[in-house]
Amino acid sequence: MDYKLTHQQKEIIAVMGRVASDAIVPVDFDNCVTADIKAGHLRKNMKIMAESGFMELWLGTDMIAACSVGEVFAEICPSTFFSAVSSAFPCTFINSFGTSAQQSKYLNLLLDADHIGALAVTEPDAGSDFSGLSTVAEPREDKWVINGMKAFVTNAWTADVFLVLARTQGNTGVDSEFTFFIMDRNTEGLRIDEPVGTLGLKGALVSTVRFSDCIVGHGAILGHETGNGYGQYSKVLPYIQLAVSAYALGVGTACMAEATSYAKDRKVSGKPIGLIENVGSKLALMYTHNDLGRMMTHRAAWSVMQNEQDAGILSSCAKLFTSESVNKIADMAMQIYAGHGYAGGSKIESLYRDARFPEIAYGTSEILRAAIAKDSLDRFKP
Amino acid sequence: MDFSISDEQKMFRETIYRYVRAHISPLCLQADLEGAFSREIWRNMREVGLLGLPFPEKYGGSGADFVTCCLAGEAVGHAGIDGGHALAWGAHTYLCGANIMQHGTEEQKEKYLPKLSTGEWIGCMALTEPGCGSDAAAIITTAVRKEDRYILNGSKTFITNAPLAQVFVVFATMDKSQKTRGITAFIVEKDYPGLSTGKEMHKMGCRCSTTSEVFLEDCEVPLENCLGGECNGWAIALGGVEWDRSVLLAPSLGGLMFGLEYCARYANERYAFNQPIRDFQSIQNRIADMRVFQEISRLAIYRIAAAKDSGQFLNPLQAAVNKMYIGDKGFETASNAVDIFGGYGYIHDYGVEAGLRDAKLGQLGGGTSDIMRMIVARAMLK
Repeated sequence: MDYKLTHQQKEIIAVMGRVASDAIVPVDFDNCVTADIKAGHLRKNMKIMAESGFMELWLGTDMIAACSVGEVFAEICPSTFFSAVSSAFPCTFINSFGTSAQQSKYLNLLLDADHIGALAVTEPDAGSDFSGLSTVAEPREDKWVINGMKAFVTNAWTADVFLVLARTQGNTGVDSEFTFFIMDRNTEGLRIDEPVGTLGLKGALVSTVRFSDCIVGHGAILGHETGNGYGQYSKVLPYIQLAVSAYALGVGTACMAEATSYAKDRKVSGKPIGLIENVGSKLALMYTHNDLGRMMTHRAAWSVMQNEQDAGILSSCAKLFTSESVNKIADMAMQIYAGHGYAGGSKIESLYRDARFPEIAYGTSEILRAAIAKDSLDRFKP
Repeated sequence: MDFSISDEQKMFRETIYRYVRAHISPLCLQADLEGAFSREIWRNMREVGLLGLPFPEKYGGSGADFVTCCLAGEAVGHAGIDGGHALAWGAHTYLCGANIMQHGTEEQKEKYLPKLSTGEWIGCMALTEPGCGSDAAAIITTAVRKEDRYILNGSKTFITNAPLAQVFVVFATMDKSQKTRGITAFIVEKDYPGLSTGKEMHKMGCRCSTTSEVFLEDCEVPLENCLGGECNGWAIALGGVEWDRSVLLAPSLGGLMFGLEYCARYANERYAFNQPIRDFQSIQNRIADMRVFQEISRLAIYRIAAAKDSGQFLNPLQAAVNKMYIGDKGFETASNAVDIFGGYGYIHDYGVEAGLRDAKLGQLGGGTSDIMRMIVARAMLK
């Protein structure tokens, strides 16, 4: 039993850490005027990250390194991290399930961030519940015609490549109803709405994407066989949940650093407020949640790499714990900052809004609890 | 990073688990109802090598390392032991015995460890006093060195095993003005002149462990019974934390596993409104939280154990985090278990209410959660 990072992992984290702190250009996304300005910054920074191997990390060879690196980037800029890793998700899919033709066509461009990727699964009327998905792909001669729309697609505004989950069979059971299609931005009938305003994560551009009689060839089907979409999504979901956990840890660590620094400098009767129990205990809880959450995330990452049976459940445990933790942490940090935190424009105010995201994305806390409970309830029958 | 255990370790854990399930657990519920320490359970613990587990084989022990000791504790808890017998074992083997093992002279080890290994002598550790618990450095029990003996004066309270013990590891100060630098540890035997114990205390939980005050009235301790050298007591007390925050928490982890299985089985078979109660989200939520807590507790406990086994110094922040989180969340989880059982959860026969009473100790024994938060906060502010 060994909890230490390997020498190699420490190297990767150190190198990527320098990229995060020195190479990427800091952007004040809260105050960027247009989506295009944000997109311009993102493309440049994602290119720098890709050049250091960031995208490749999410293919899965070393998920512990991926999560550790992710946390470092998320701490420095949550939006840049989330946009970048959202572009990496299609890479994971294509690397795992794509045909060699698909891999040749798309993988290197995405890994180098010459192309930006976007995963399009959720719809306005279907998030947690796949059975409500209504984007449909119908066969017509030797092509497929896609109609429908996707909501909250991260990177859509600038994406070159979309991975779109569509229904290819009706009501035969989730295991065979859905198929992923790889679609180019310039597909006729594919329209991307202006990004929606969000509470936080203002540098991650999310849009509705509409498909109106979009025609794609058979070669667009991820892995060439229809009906595998749900299974493919289930296989990749742990990687995505680990990325969201890394995001939560990064934001949580940033909140903790800010709050600790503030609690050292701010004094009452000559004493730093951090030494007052009501403030210090909050710092301690931040530390506890970040520390335990990181361990849980690494455990889940190791489980995914080892292909353990519990990998999916452990990834859900990590995502659940870290996402709930970061909300608590951000709330405590805001309280420590008090008026200075609530006033617009403080870093902590921005982090507070960024913190709200992880509990919602890629499995709400409620859905994760149901899945985790089902695992135990099915395992321990009377 | 590697979270696996060897086949040998798995077999060891399984052996302990099976033995305790067969020979100890069936006795525990009744023993808790009576609030009585069971000599039969104690004998059976010896039978399976628990009492001398970490001591070198030449003193009758098994020479087990930290991870192995944790596996044993986890197995014992998982098999359904009550909190009282687990506590009695922990205080005997780790709080008393391990101190002698780590700091004793060869003569002291030869004299005490063999009889502690068989459980013929029961051991205890006396640090806390009526006037100081959390502020352990402020103890006022004194030790004065005479020509041929030490004379100890003072009293201790809440000492687990004291009513039954033959061997007492007692902390006293040789110079109050030196604060922690005056504290010294002694091995005191039951029949030394001047040592007596008070009436057995009736506790909220862990009722099968015996607890009382210890009185030292001009108690005469031979010179050769100073433990670890004069004025080294504080370092010895702090050193005990590494056992406290790993091995002593392992039975709680086991208890969590036992509880999760028990609650899951019950949720499958209990019906309300024509469906098993597992169908209700309020029940699922509690089951899910138990699973997440179990995974995190396991990681926290074994992180310290694995570090100790690879020769690393104890990380005091990790230790404090462990104690705080496992204690606080443990009580909440025990309460959730009662909720799942509803009315049956309130009745002694079903075991969960005893678990809740036992779990309260986790928040206050061996260091309160509030103090743990203070320790972490102070470290963060340095």
